Amino acid sequence: MLPNPGILKLDLAIRGAGLGDSLRARHELLHGRALRSPVAKSAKSIELVLPGDVLVSTPVGESFTNDSPYKLMQDADRFLLEYEGEPAEVRVVAPPSYYAKKTRSGIPMGRIGSSYGPYIAINPAKRCGFSERGTQCRFCDAATQGADRDEPIPVEDVIDTVRAAFADGNSEFVYLHIGYVDSDDAGVEFIEPYVRAIKRHFDTLVAVQLQPPRENRWIDYIYAIGVDAISYSVEIHDEKILESVCVGRAKQVGRPRYYDALRHAATIFPNGTVWSDLIVGLEPIESTLEGVDTLVEMGVLPVLSVFRPLSDTDLRDHPMPTTQDVAPVFAYLFERVKEAGINMNWVRDLSFAMTPFEARYFSDPNAIVPSGLGPLYRSKLGNLAVRNLSRLRRRLRVRQVNDSYGSSNL
Amino acid sequence: MSQSGFVVDTRSIWIILLQSGRQPMLLLLGVLIYLGVRTFVAPEDLDPAGHRALAVFALCVFYWVFDVLPLMITSILAIVLLPMTGVLPAKEAYGLFGNEAVFFILGAFILAAAMMKSGLSSRLALVILNRFGHDPVTLLRGIFALNATMSFFMSEHAVAAMTFPIIVEIIAALHLPPERRNYGKSLVLAMAWGSTIGGVATLLGGARAPLALGILRELTGDTYTFAEWAALNIPMTLSLSAAAWILLRTFFPTGDIDISKAEQAVQERLDKVGRMTLQERVIALVMIATITAWIVLGEHFGLASIALTAVVALFALRAVQWRDVEGYVNWGLILMYGGAISLGSALHSSGAAAWLADQTIASWASGPVTVILFIAVSSVALTEMMSNSAAVAILMPLSIAVTSQFGIDPRITAPLVAVPAGLSFMLPIGTPANAMAYSSGYLRVQDLVIPGLILHIVGLTIFNLMIWFYWPLLGLSP
Repeated sequence: MLPNPGILKLDLAIRGAGLGDSLRARHELLHGRALRSPVAKSAKSIELVLPGDVLVSTPVGESFTNDSPYKLMQDADRFLLEYEGEPAEVRVVAPPSYYAKKTRSGIPMGRIGSSYGPYIAINPAKRCGFSERGTQCRFCDAATQGADRDEPIPVEDVIDTVRAAFADGNSEFVYLHIGYVDSDDAGVEFIEPYVRAIKRHFDTLVAVQLQPPRENRWIDYIYAIGVDAISYSVEIHDEKILESVCVGRAKQVGRPRYYDALRHAATIFPNGTVWSDLIVGLEPIESTLEGVDTLVEMGVLPVLSVFRPLSDTDLRDHPMPTTQDVAPVFAYLFERVKEAGINMNWVRDLSFAMTPFEARYFSDPNAIVPSGLGPLYRSKLGNLAVRNLSRLRRRLRVRQVNDSYGSSNL
Repeated sequence: MSQSGFVVDTRSIWIILLQSGRQPMLLLLGVLIYLGVRTFVAPEDLDPAGHRALAVFALCVFYWVFDVLPLMITSILAIVLLPMTGVLPAKEAYGLFGNEAVFFILGAFILAAAMMKSGLSSRLALVILNRFGHDPVTLLRGIFALNATMSFFMSEHAVAAMTFPIIVEIIAALHLPPERRNYGKSLVLAMAWGSTIGGVATLLGGARAPLALGILRELTGDTYTFAEWAALNIPMTLSLSAAAWILLRTFFPTGDIDISKAEQAVQERLDKVGRMTLQERVIALVMIATITAWIVLGEHFGLASIALTAVVALFALRAVQWRDVEGYVNWGLILMYGGAISLGSALHSSGAAAWLADQTIASWASGPVTVILFIAVSSVALTEMMSNSAAVAILMPLSIAVTSQFGIDPRITAPLVAVPAGLSFMLPIGTPANAMAYSSGYLRVQDLVIPGLILHIVGLTIFNLMIWFYWPLLGLSP
């Protein structure tokens, strides 16, 4: 019998799955390029929807997946995941058809957007500032995998891609992410036209991941221009390990700045829309737990992903954690987020990382999430309500300074 | 959106919601007040049109007092509601908008705009300061007198806006040490008080007086000439100026200060302005001719006709262009006045004003003394709460009704309401001149409030003395 969906997601993310004979030639099911995530950047993977609608990006066709106890097979129209001789039905998310289309300027849309669950992820920047200086994280293979480009993607091409992705029907939200930008705003002004254009053309939510700006006013500004959720990912809590693994993050930004920016963002953005990634497996468990505590205490949602060594990186020989080792971290994550009353419903359905909402399976599979509105958030009506509430909140909270002069009757 | 032109409000969303919901709630409350007056107030001795006019008045007073809509939009609402509710025929309601007072204000705005745009008003200010500012006391007196005198001829707000930058420059040039800050305080207060006090002297100092005159004329057919109004109020202005000067010197004494640098700053500004241009000369001549005509021919031709003739003359002589004056004219105020005059007329003709006066002031006032004191104090109090124009719009119809009931000459209501409505000394938000003085950074709120309160009391006392002892000499008996 398959483990519960949370544990299964973790196990599949770590160990991957073997492919049955019927699937070995089905290359169209593979998701080639992925998000800037240490677990799934360049690895070949298949997106699976597990029982409980839990999404997981499952490595396949890698050397280590040969030893996996999981095997994915096809039986007529059904996909089966076999574990210890018992098959269970899962769904496979085929790469969307827009990947094969081209934008108005002829760029293949598959090179601009990647769909993960309900998100279309786009990195419109030309390259990460850390890679340019050779200070990228040692688990990151963006440069070696050709993820960097010479010019940023034009706004119009991004809009074409988002329109095509939404027309496909699987994507609902936009997730923009850029690497390090060496400026006071850390790339806010660069990303602004993309955010504005997306908001002008589509009724959707926009999440952004970038590095912390030097001044907090840029955090206020990025909220004011229409960003609905934001992430500054510290990746590793232990300061010394951060310095050795992520030189750029430690030296050019600094861990204190990540936490200061996150703390401020949590006062500006709605509850549960500020998150930070932590990688499980690169630092001692105690340190990760401390990182969870630090983030939760400032009202920030920790999102945990499990370290996976990629062949083109310095850490290719770094040992992988086991599911048994790291499972308690996820149980702790859920309990701490629940205790702090942080909304778990905004950041969800990430196939490449474990959200606190999914981490409930490690604590108590039947645990009731505080808001209890999970299913509503996923419904069309719920999405509509969330989008409009987000807009209303911004309208109420962001005030033009001129309004104040006006109200003073001077 | 610029990166610095906004703030993110991080207070509880409920507080923000409550605050943001204020305007819709007040809008709704106004509608409920209107419906409440229509439904629950059933005056037996008031005909249906008067009843409806009363409801429209209640709605407009509420919106004016709580600033629910911009003043001029509430006035437009009044003009719209009067014919819609059957209080006045549409032709009459909109016709009242074409009141002479509205066109007088329009003319005065354009004349003032021409003076400011051409630089004539700044030159005048600099010449006077250059002539008088040779020691700290004469400089201070010069600034006070300059602002007061200029407010005889143009809007007190415009005078303050024009002289404020010059005064700030003078203070900066003096490099006043902390122990000499009193001099800085007295300079900016001289600007604010001078403008405010001078603004009540003539019909040009503020638009309140023309509005009061417009309502008086619509409701009673009476009016004042330019000279009559000035004769009534100039002694009051002079007395109040003397009182203000004493307060200024008492509260903010100054020692010896070397003002040579201030003189230099004024001279440098004057050098920049250069010789008087032909355009300035033409405008100066037209202004002198206009003021003379207002005094000599005002009764015969009407103030508005003279003002608009002067405007035509300025354009005919190419001394000014339309785009120069367009931005200086306060079109909103003109709309506001048109609506207020229509509403006042509707209240009067429908009998609603008399009924309201009967129910309120007349029911407890013992005689003319209490009536006059009550109207004057109400005018001062309302001015602190709302725009002085709105205070005039609310009080004039009621005052005319109540004075008639007590056998007081209704002509008295125009200065009785308009003059106290212009006297605001206490708070930074009272008038733009006070706000500018406060924004200089030299004043604390208590620097305005304490001497301002004393000046208020002194002002009201002088005003009442004028009403009872001086105005009768001019044939205006309470």
